Amino acid sequence: MEISTSKNTQINLKPEKGLSPWALARKKFVKNKLAMTSLIFLVFVMIVSFLAPYITTIDITKINIGSMSLKPSAEHWLGTDKNGRDVFTRLLYGGRVSLLVGISCTLFVIFFGTIVGSIAGYFGGIVDSMLMRFTDFVLNFPFLVFVIVLATIFHGKVNGLVILIMVISLLSWGGVARIVRSKILAEKENEYILAAISIGCSPFKVITKHLLPNVLSTIIVQATILFASMIVAETGLSFLGFGVPSEIPSWGNMLAFANEPDVLQGKPWIWIPPALAITLTILSINFVGEGLKDALNPRSRR
Amino acid sequence: MLKYSLRRILGMIPMLFLISIVVFSLAKLMPGDSLSGEIDPNNTDPAYIEEMREKLGYNDPVHIQYFTWITNFMQGDFGKSTRYKIPASDIISERLPNTIFLGFSSILITYVLAFIMGIYAGRKPYTLGDNAIGTANYIGLALPSFVAGVFAIYFFSFTLGWFPSNGSVDISTTEGTAAYWMSRIHHVFLPALVLGLLSTASYTQFLRNDIIENSRKDYVRTARAKGTPEKKIYNQHILRNSIIPLITFLGFDIVALVGGAIITETIFTYPGIGQLFLNSVSQRDYPVLMTLTMMFSFLTLFGNLIADILYGIVDPRIRLD
Repeated sequence: MEISTSKNTQINLKPEKGLSPWALARKKFVKNKLAMTSLIFLVFVMIVSFLAPYITTIDITKINIGSMSLKPSAEHWLGTDKNGRDVFTRLLYGGRVSLLVGISCTLFVIFFGTIVGSIAGYFGGIVDSMLMRFTDFVLNFPFLVFVIVLATIFHGKVNGLVILIMVISLLSWGGVARIVRSKILAEKENEYILAAISIGCSPFKVITKHLLPNVLSTIIVQATILFASMIVAETGLSFLGFGVPSEIPSWGNMLAFANEPDVLQGKPWIWIPPALAITLTILSINFVGEGLKDALNPRSRR
Repeated sequence: MLKYSLRRILGMIPMLFLISIVVFSLAKLMPGDSLSGEIDPNNTDPAYIEEMREKLGYNDPVHIQYFTWITNFMQGDFGKSTRYKIPASDIISERLPNTIFLGFSSILITYVLAFIMGIYAGRKPYTLGDNAIGTANYIGLALPSFVAGVFAIYFFSFTLGWFPSNGSVDISTTEGTAAYWMSRIHHVFLPALVLGLLSTASYTQFLRNDIIENSRKDYVRTARAKGTPEKKIYNQHILRNSIIPLITFLGFDIVALVGGAIITETIFTYPGIGQLFLNSVSQRDYPVLMTLTMMFSFLTLFGNLIADILYGIVDPRIRLD
């Protein structure tokens, strides 16, 4: 380090500008082949799913008795399901719903968790203990049990998708709140926070302008992990019949056909595509998450 | 330590009280009337219905209804199943042993597999075997239990025919015989494996990384310098230190089992309380539903408590007060 600086001054070259932490992280991430491949795959899945109405023109709602449970063919790439609907088309539309639910839940959970965690961590004292007691209380509910009960209560009253997203988010923000709080607790001991407070910054400004940018890397990594688990939650609930309403195709709803033994045993083209889609998506989210964790960790050496 | 544990156990009481209020309110909010099971469906006389409502206490104020429910609940009277017309406790206690058996088998399989794979991978890191185990782990972490369950039934039950795809025991065997127990183990193996898949993968990875990290520490170098055989270093010196953090996961296992049992039992149509829970939701069998929700909540609280206490025992640096 010392040698290179002295050399630079000697030859009178402009000292090389150091990369910002974010640029460093980006560089590290791009070099990580597994994470990059996964990211490209994920982006591809998202584009294909969200553009589903433009890619295929087949009607997914129409029940076609003439073409029930057809094997994969040139006309139906992945065959048709028990109601004569094209599996490939439903897979695209299903991805749209599953990814949408996953993304919205992740955003809500991160939003709530960050608000609660940063307020608790910043103010400390009684605010902290009250908020954290409440967080503990929410975390002590068995997730699946209460999601199922809540989904049944609201079933049919309001739009099924909105309810599902709200219910899942309502029960999941506790973990993020805990992590953000512990990060904020450590970060607020720094002198720049003291400086910010002493020149009269409002608590809101200190949190949003000074504290959150410094815990952002943790939040981003958490968000990736959450995204995967939210997709699992949605597909799992739909698989059990308590998630997305059955008339809307989602990967979980499509996989639910495997509950019927004759489909599971004799018509694998109906359930294998959604099963693979779920697994591959989660696998690539996990890889992206690990890549991000690695890239955002200044101590990792890659 | 004892003081802390006692305080935590006492702290569970207000938590359970709050949860019971939430469970009661949710059951009240659920669609349909839990009364419908108690009334004779052929008798639609409004006076009869009103009489039954009055008799069963549905016209009482909500807080009195709650009080009656919780008092009975504390005394072990969980109400009568509106569907099966027998006490809820009877139905649950009939199913409970199956779930406990499933849970134990799952934890056992998890620990055995994670130990074998983790120790092997940690001892020979960056070799072919380690990479294979690592790949399997990544897949295990990405496979949700319901996808894994569906694949397991398809391959092991239907294609290969190794394991049965549903039920908990072969009904032709008589209870108590060796064949009966063999049949139960045969039936429980696949669901238990699926239930433990996620924890198996994460434990294996944890154990592997911990062993690798430990093997670079000074005490291992000292042991090597003294001429301790490599086998003894790994099996005694390192393993002892690496197992300890793994034990703390037991509490989280209990928590994970609650959700896992619901999914796995449904896929394998295994007659346990997870399946009973889903049935009671769809059949609006409120007494069973409320009792099971309370049970699951208690188990989750208990699991978190165990995790915290074990954490303190294992790592004395964590101050618990």
